[in-house]
Amino acid sequence: MTQEDVIRMTNEVFADSFEIPKEKLVPEANIFNDLGLDSLDIVDLVVALQKKFGVVIRSDERVRTIRSLGDIYQFIATINKEMNK
Amino acid sequence: MQIVKIAFLNIVFYSLFISFSSFAIPALGVLLIIFFIIFPRRQTMKRLRREISWYGAVIIRILPFPLVRLEVKDYSKEPVSAPCLFICNHRSASDPFLLAVFPYEIVQIVNIWPFRLPVLGFAAKLAGYLSVRELPFEEFFKRTSRLINDGVCIASFPEGTRSRDNSMGQFHGAIFRVALATKIPIVPVCITGNEKIPPVGSPFLRPGLIKIRILPALTYQEYGSFSPYKLKNYVRDILIKESALMDQNK
Repeated sequence: MTQEDVIRMTNEVFADSFEIPKEKLVPEANIFNDLGLDSLDIVDLVVALQKKFGVVIRSDERVRTIRSLGDIYQFIATINKEMNK
Repeated sequence: MQIVKIAFLNIVFYSLFISFSSFAIPALGVLLIIFFIIFPRRQTMKRLRREISWYGAVIIRILPFPLVRLEVKDYSKEPVSAPCLFICNHRSASDPFLLAVFPYEIVQIVNIWPFRLPVLGFAAKLAGYLSVRELPFEEFFKRTSRLINDGVCIASFPEGTRSRDNSMGQFHGAIFRVALATKIPIVPVCITGNEKIPPVGSPFLRPGLIKIRILPALTYQEYGSFSPYKLKNYVRDILIKESALMDQNK
């Protein structure tokens, strides 16, 4: 999976699950302050990401450090690399 | 001249506030104890919540008048019946008192600090007000659902904290998840003009006109298909538009 695939699929999750317009989905967007997600939305987001990418991230401590959309792209890419090793 | 007005307002307001509270709180307390003895718990709780509203109404409508005035406009298409959910923007520490304009039994969802206020914090706890930050979501959901089943209205300030520049903060979605599950009407309430009554970080009131607009209720038929995220932002957008109009005196 390329970085472009990760970005496209992550943006699809945000568009489908939260109906966030595409123009707001930029890597530097803070998921709390700019996109308006709260802790309960994060639970929904994690479930949607797990389903989309076929990964298990719920118990991954690194999820707690995520702040921006760019962090999510990076995190998903890292998880994918780890799975393919 | 403005400084004299502010000084006069605060001296008069706080003198009356202390005098009134010294009389009203013990009197309402005694009344409540009598109610606890005579009536079932449910009726007593209803009485306590209404007493809090009366107290708030005096504090906000009478004590600072005429230097602080209150203008309430109801834009409801039709009268809303309890239980319902009031969603308010949050610019000032006086906001919780302003909910006294509603003739309903209300439980407010508050931050941690109101519970730390002497006497008033105790009354809020006794009345079952909910400190959302101290409750796990499951417990918060259970308690609010139970209140709604009892016919109690819920009032929430989903920004969670007061705005420092009049912009609308992002909304927390917990209460909107409760609304979706219990299907109660959501009434957006826009409050402006009290940004300096009192300003953030100061106990001193400034003279001014506080405006409250009660906007048309959203029914479950209107919002039932929304996700919690979409619903909270839909209500937030309504309040952003209305507060912008109100700030321009429209």
